Amino acid sequence: MNIYPVIWKELKDMSRDIRTLAAISLMPLLMMPLLALSSIYAQGLQPGTVIIMDEDRIEIQLGNGTIISSANLTTWLKNEFVKTGYKVLNEETGEFDLEIKIPKGFTKNLTLFNTTAELTIVKNVASSKSQNAEGIARNVINAFSHTVAELKVKYLGRLAQISIYPPSVLSPISTYTELVRPGGEEATYEETVQIALSKLLAFSLVFVTTPSIAYITDSVVGEKERKTFESLLTTPLSRSAIVLGKLVSASFIGLVTGLADAAGLILFFILPSIAYGVNLLAFFTPSLILAHITAVYVSVLASLALIMPIVIRSGSYRTAQVFSLIIISAASIVFFISLYVDINQIVPAAKYVLYILPYTHAVQMIKVSVFGDLTSFLLHLSAAVAEILILIGVAIKLFNEEKIIYSRT
Amino acid sequence: MRIEYAVYLDKVVKDFGKVRALDGLSLRVRPGTVFGLIGPNGAGKTTTLRIISTLVTPDSGEVYILGRKLPEEKDHVRPQITYLPEDAGIYHRLTGWENLLFYAMIYYGKTPEAEEVAKYGAQIASLPEKDLNRKASEYSKGMIRRIAIARTLMLRPQLAILDEPTSGLDIFSAYRVRKMIKGFVKETGSTIILSSHNMLEIEDLCDEVALIHKGKIVAEGMPQELLRRYGGRNLEEVFIALAGGGE
Repeated sequence: MNIYPVIWKELKDMSRDIRTLAAISLMPLLMMPLLALSSIYAQGLQPGTVIIMDEDRIEIQLGNGTIISSANLTTWLKNEFVKTGYKVLNEETGEFDLEIKIPKGFTKNLTLFNTTAELTIVKNVASSKSQNAEGIARNVINAFSHTVAELKVKYLGRLAQISIYPPSVLSPISTYTELVRPGGEEATYEETVQIALSKLLAFSLVFVTTPSIAYITDSVVGEKERKTFESLLTTPLSRSAIVLGKLVSASFIGLVTGLADAAGLILFFILPSIAYGVNLLAFFTPSLILAHITAVYVSVLASLALIMPIVIRSGSYRTAQVFSLIIISAASIVFFISLYVDINQIVPAAKYVLYILPYTHAVQMIKVSVFGDLTSFLLHLSAAVAEILILIGVAIKLFNEEKIIYSRT
Repeated sequence: MRIEYAVYLDKVVKDFGKVRALDGLSLRVRPGTVFGLIGPNGAGKTTTLRIISTLVTPDSGEVYILGRKLPEEKDHVRPQITYLPEDAGIYHRLTGWENLLFYAMIYYGKTPEAEEVAKYGAQIASLPEKDLNRKASEYSKGMIRRIAIARTLMLRPQLAILDEPTSGLDIFSAYRVRKMIKGFVKETGSTIILSSHNMLEIEDLCDEVALIHKGKIVAEGMPQELLRRYGGRNLEEVFIALAGGGE
């Protein structure tokens, strides 16, 4: 099979389309850091407003001499909100994200032993920051509540003249979480973070399939529209050589995208690392990066093999692009599922359906590489390659010169 | 009998849905001749040439090209023929030279022979070296056609199939293309089958002519013989007379 001229021609053609190549490789390199920057700084561009209305403002001395006041809680809340970038007001003036109302009698009820103190959190449902603000408020209120509870327990112990260790009353059960791998061996904290990262990496595959699909569409439909295909089809080139030559060349685009995507992801994590002082890059092991690049290549080849038979029979760019979108959407579903679901543990009927798609194996390749499970990695790689080869076989089978020529443009 | 001809089509029928493109068409082309196919739009010229070039399979009838039966033996036929479709394009991001080399490599692989064949193509195209090394996107329509024809002829095929080789070209470019074809025939003695709307071109280039109308050959022979037989001053008048007044 004389595949060389096809690859030679396609790569020459591709290498001279500098603008497309630059757009393909620069897209992830620019978009990923921009995404990181926007997630970090966009929050700063939208300062939240919290109102703390303290209508009580009294101090009460607990029996043991300790003074408890709603002002303490107000101070704790104010400090935490200011620290996290919120504007804190103590009177209702215009729009707010969250309001905390401390009613009269709050401190008195807080110090009694036959009732509880109540306060109200007013949440603006239209605000995107209200959820975060509520979380901060609840954390502070829980901490304050716990502190008051400890003081009350100590006071009661003194009254009863017994020695009390407050946690034995307030949280008599203590728990400890051990991290283990699927096989039961001890797992590290780094591996936990890497698992989360691997889900993100798998999801990022959604961005890399599009450029190659656009390229193969042009490579086939473009040849038809530029009237170069008909001559080519009468040459001694076999249909396998034409299909494989175009696929191999287009997958080169996939490799470029994969490398650019990996570089973009590294930049994506550098910026938050600088902003928050957490070195996320340390979790990017060479094996994880290598697995990601392999998964990118597999995903790209799978998309190309899926779209090839359709593109061959498509008369126009429009038809080819509509079908391309369908393929990309199917891939996106798998990549999206992998964010929330452990594909390996879902019910067999659903799992095997997903395993028909090579994308599922690409996702699994990234996930198993976290634990250095080379056997599973190779198994998923082999399954994906086998499925891709079947798809290529279908593309070659469907390659019919007459139908190609007469497909409507 | 069939293997004596470079092209042998017998009672060929081809339908596209409800439209009958070829209606029992029969055609014989002897080796070493330049054969012209004349007919109006939709007469079936391109379908006939596509069948001869192995791209399209007829619904019925017999097709032998260079003594090989189609479609069964198309893999044997393809290395010996070349086909220039109507309005054939070339690869715009490749240079003229690379376009020639690409086709040469399809037949000869990455070998010195391929380079030699491409050089011969450059000679046929007779474009200055400076132009040959420019990207084809910068070429005029005439230059594109010269490269397309050169890549068809440089392979010295036993049979070259040219669908409207001068269509859309100005008179200078068309003249150059005809000169290329004549020079090639003189040098190689290959068989050429070409279609055209231009009767003068057909008279100038072809040894034998077939008039095709509504998917059938309505007359066949040497141009002068047809003029004599049907009493026309030129092939245009002969064709109009045979096709029923241009209906």
